[in-house]
Amino acid sequence: MGDILVITEHLKDEFQDITFEMLGKAKELTGISGGQCVAVTFGSMHGKADELGTADSVISIGGSDDYNPESYAAAVQSLIREKSPSLIMVGFTSMGMDIASSVATALDIPAVSYCANINVSGSEFSCTSSMYGGKMNVVTHVEGPVLAMVLAGSYNAETGRVSGSPDVESFSADFGSGNVRFKQLIEPEDADVDITQSNILVAVGRGIGSKDDIEIAEELAEVLDADLACSRPLVDAGWMSKSRQVGKSGLKVKPKVYIALGISGAPEHIEGMKSASTIIAINTDKNAPIFDVADYGMTEDLFDIVEELVEELE
Amino acid sequence: MKIIVLLKQVPDLVEDLEVDASGKTLDRSDIKFKLNEYDDHALEEAILLKESGAVDEIIAMAVDGAGTDKMLFTAIAKGADGAVKLTGGNPADSHQLGKAFSNVLASESYDMIFTGVQSVDDRDGQLGPIIGSYLRIPCVSVVSGVKVSGDTAVIHKEYSGGMMGEFEVDLPAVLGIQAAKQSPRYAPVSKIRQVQETMSVIEASMGELGSGSGSSVASMAPPEKVAGAEMLEDVEALIDVLKDKGVI
Amino acid sequence: MLSPSERIVFILLVVVCGIMAVQGFSQIFKTVKSGADSNRSDNLISRFSTALVDILLQKPISRARPIVGLFHSFIFFGFSFYLLVNINDILEAYIDGWTTLGSENILANLFNLFADIFSVFVLVGMVFFLYRRFVQKPKVMDFNANVKLHPGVSAGGLKKDSLIVGIFILVHVGSRWLGTAIHLADNGNTDKWLPTASIMSGLFSDWSPAALETGIHVTWWLAMGLIVLFIPYFPRTKHIHLMVAPVNLALGRNTHRGAMDGVSNPASPGARTLSDLPWPQVLDSWACIMCTRCHEVCPAHESGTSLSPSAMEINKRYFINEQGNSLFNGAADTALLDYAISDDAVWSCTTCYACVQVCPVGNEPMMDILELRRNEVFDAKMPDELADVLRSLDEQGNSFKESARRRSRWSRTLNFKLKDATKEPVKYLWYVGDFSSFNQICQDTTRKVAEVLMVAGVDFGIMGKKEKSAGNDIRRVGEEGLFEVLVEQNIESIESCEFEEIFTTDPHTFNTLKNEYPEKGGNFRVKHYSTLLLELIKNGDIKLNKKLDIKATYHDPCYLGRYNGIYDDPRQVMKLCGVELVEMPRNKENSFCCGAGGGQIWLPDHDDMVQRPSENRIEEAVSVGVNHFTVACPKDMTMYSDAAKTSGNEDNMAVNDIVDFVMEAMDLPEQTMDETLSSDTEEAVPAETLTEELNS
Repeated sequence: MGDILVITEHLKDEFQDITFEMLGKAKELTGISGGQCVAVTFGSMHGKADELGTADSVISIGGSDDYNPESYAAAVQSLIREKSPSLIMVGFTSMGMDIASSVATALDIPAVSYCANINVSGSEFSCTSSMYGGKMNVVTHVEGPVLAMVLAGSYNAETGRVSGSPDVESFSADFGSGNVRFKQLIEPEDADVDITQSNILVAVGRGIGSKDDIEIAEELAEVLDADLACSRPLVDAGWMSKSRQVGKSGLKVKPKVYIALGISGAPEHIEGMKSASTIIAINTDKNAPIFDVADYGMTEDLFDIVEELVEELE
Repeated sequence: MKIIVLLKQVPDLVEDLEVDASGKTLDRSDIKFKLNEYDDHALEEAILLKESGAVDEIIAMAVDGAGTDKMLFTAIAKGADGAVKLTGGNPADSHQLGKAFSNVLASESYDMIFTGVQSVDDRDGQLGPIIGSYLRIPCVSVVSGVKVSGDTAVIHKEYSGGMMGEFEVDLPAVLGIQAAKQSPRYAPVSKIRQVQETMSVIEASMGELGSGSGSSVASMAPPEKVAGAEMLEDVEALIDVLKDKGVI
Repeated sequence: MLSPSERIVFILLVVVCGIMAVQGFSQIFKTVKSGADSNRSDNLISRFSTALVDILLQKPISRARPIVGLFHSFIFFGFSFYLLVNINDILEAYIDGWTTLGSENILANLFNLFADIFSVFVLVGMVFFLYRRFVQKPKVMDFNANVKLHPGVSAGGLKKDSLIVGIFILVHVGSRWLGTAIHLADNGNTDKWLPTASIMSGLFSDWSPAALETGIHVTWWLAMGLIVLFIPYFPRTKHIHLMVAPVNLALGRNTHRGAMDGVSNPASPGARTLSDLPWPQVLDSWACIMCTRCHEVCPAHESGTSLSPSAMEINKRYFINEQGNSLFNGAADTALLDYAISDDAVWSCTTCYACVQVCPVGNEPMMDILELRRNEVFDAKMPDELADVLRSLDEQGNSFKESARRRSRWSRTLNFKLKDATKEPVKYLWYVGDFSSFNQICQDTTRKVAEVLMVAGVDFGIMGKKEKSAGNDIRRVGEEGLFEVLVEQNIESIESCEFEEIFTTDPHTFNTLKNEYPEKGGNFRVKHYSTLLLELIKNGDIKLNKKLDIKATYHDPCYLGRYNGIYDDPRQVMKLCGVELVEMPRNKENSFCCGAGGGQIWLPDHDDMVQRPSENRIEEAVSVGVNHFTVACPKDMTMYSDAAKTSGNEDNMAVNDIVDFVMEAMDLPEQTMDETLSSDTEEAVPAETLTEELNS
């Protein structure tokens, strides 16, 4: 088998957890089927190559420090053409999505999204994708080269976070025609609370029904001395502020206890909270994917449970 | 300024999904389909831009299928100016779907193409970047804020943790929309019916679809409940758990 | 009796006022005519004769406030008779020597007697009304602070109008009455046919003949002059109801009250402006007597929201008065939402029909609201939560955002299999309904109904996933298009089954299946399950082996009672079970809505709601000293179960469905569910042998 390229992801000079998740997995795969585990960095991130000890080597593409969907994709494309790896791993993240599908299409390489797991046997990869809102696992068998988009939270980032001193080589990439230009990074508004630091979170999802009903979750949060969080749809509807959003495009939280009320458990949300120590889910749909990651569950109506719980605790 | 919005139907996740006899695909026999919610956001963002005066024309486009006519008439009822449906084939994956759209788009004029950032069934890649690649125009996805001026668009791309990147994109371009500025609007059924009576959907041939994604599904199954959640009987049990974990 | 110059002056006065009146009345006619079409010209003779009889019996006004109604009848009969009195006055004025006093003619004397007594009636009645409005000032006459009011109303226009009318009547009738007394004094005698006037004539006994003569003329002019002057004022005052109300009542809707009118113009449904409303609803503005009976019975107003049907009709009238002729130049385009009613109020209505039911002059404020909703929905203007629910109904045929295939899951824990009516013939097709199918509290009742019918040996079946929401409330939130789509699909599903009759556990479903589906081609025999239970008890299929020793009150569901006149069947069922029925003050057609209808059950509580209607009703039940609140509707079950808790009455008020009593009275030896009549309906205990899921 050829090499595995892990396309690293960084924001504000820090490698994101997904990078280490992928590196850990890639190392494991090369251990099975041979080949090198190669980390690909952008801009000046090669300066932090010592964090990428899991990798056998590092290729620095250079270019801008700021992510750019067009130039990063063009660069990766030219790299793959040059190096002909068997597997290219990219995060199924905002940054990764723009690179992955356009590169794969341009090079006529198969791409697999939502990868929660990748296995290899000889030169054939088996990718398991979490599809249909997490309700179905779809397995793809495909010969390399293949581009796999890895769901954040699929692997343990700590396994892949090893210090070391891999060789760093430069690659002169093609950065495309400059039709997409980065202007600035926009930070979120100062949040009243940083839920990534919270010990206990009470999270509400679509099952809460209406903006007014969030009140009962607030009561519960108060009684438990917890912070309120939510899934994306409530932010989109304007019911809660973005600072409370848990998930792929929101925040990754690691509370001791995460109580999910009326949250179905789509992968985008799970990504953000699966590292919680204890997950308690309340959802009337017993088939909701949230119960696959939850430690405890209840299928009663969340309003009844929360009301009773608040009463008992007061 | 003209926007073409690409729409697609996906299984309604409210349904209990099952695998069919082949073990490789969904049993579609009894489930309802609905517009991909991200495509709905894409349409909403386009309509909002039109309502603000930045855009003159919106065309909705979709592949012909069981619910396509209703979906396209609904788009017009919400504010699109016209609709095109692609006939003559059955795209099996995102690549073939992208090819179908690209074939037709190649002979269309447009300033922007909007489509949902992803859909629940796009295993082989996301439509936006695929089409961007086929048409050789820029694509940015996970977009949640679009402004246009002249022949560029300024967009906000969402990163994690609430951060966003602001980009300037030369048009024409494809945008994969994550969220519109407001929730997708409702289209009253009588308005949809009115549109059905007064307007018609243009048909276009989708052409050759190519070989597709280059990978096929080996198997499909619901996630195994390895160590599924321990189901609690009542609030008492829940309180015990909370006590046990030191919450109360 | 009048001098020649007086006669001429009077004629001139009549002519001038007449011309002004014609202008005023023709404007009314034009404004009403500008309303949308509505066919009310069928059976005109029977319409008017029925209305006449009802009015003579004072039926409409006696629906509420009986004491006030009594005093109104004083004024009504008195004032009606005064037509003859005024004619007599004219004859007296213009024909020398004409008088009814001291006549041998029995008719003349009877005329005098009635004139005398009715004068006093009217005066007494008028004093009562003025006292009520200006001294007693009952709270029901106030609008909630958040109700949209025309500036003229806020400036005290209602009081002003009442004062003007009150003074007019007091002076008009008072002068005539005193005038008669002066006549008698002038004649120097009393008349046994004029008892009160005779007494009053004593006041004038020592007046000089000249003074008496003057008095006669002055009182004549006050009486007759005032009424002629008042005629052109009628178009501006609520007093015009005496002409408009009979017409409004006669030309009222004579289609079933449970059937909404169709949309006349699908390209622009509903109403945005006054002239978009059907013309009888424009006429409502003049019929309205501004009595606030409607908002007194309105659950939305009672609970503190911004909806007052009374304010809406009054605002319409004030707007029309203010605009006058410019109503047809531009002002016609003003949106009702600008002056008549707020958007929040439009979306607070529960469509309970109480306002229409109680209105003494036949107004239909609820219909205005429904038309406003249709218009708003067409532009996708509605509360966000409603849009979500409508999408769920469109996509899956239910309001619960659940897969259609899960519709009959409630039946899983029964220990027998239900027949699939789409696959085999049944005698009764059970149209279960959204709430009875999906709401966890209601599912218990649904299962009990199934149990009871099974034990009674009834041949029934359900349609399972083929059943979709019947659409009653969808129509009433204004989504006519979606309603039509659902009706089409449901009729197709129903017609694919073989059955004799449909029964349903949901009054909303019952209402639309029975009253609205026929127009769309679905003609089925439909009954509410209370009727079916009664039949089965009476014919012995349901054997009641135990008499319950319970006192309970029964709440009439709006769509079963007020809309469809079914009050007795559920009561009889209860009585046959041995339940002692204690009525609440607001019962039968005066039942107070739980607050769920008109889409409210899908919307969050309004911000300014002070107390939920359902809590108000529970308190009413507590006040009659019972511990059991009986319902016959799934929405009532969920609303009142909740209200019993939130009003703090969870431990002393059990909410039961009528089927609970039936089941308990049946005293079944072997039961699949743990059945006790406790304060909470208990979860069904799954049977040991689970059945195949229907339609799986």
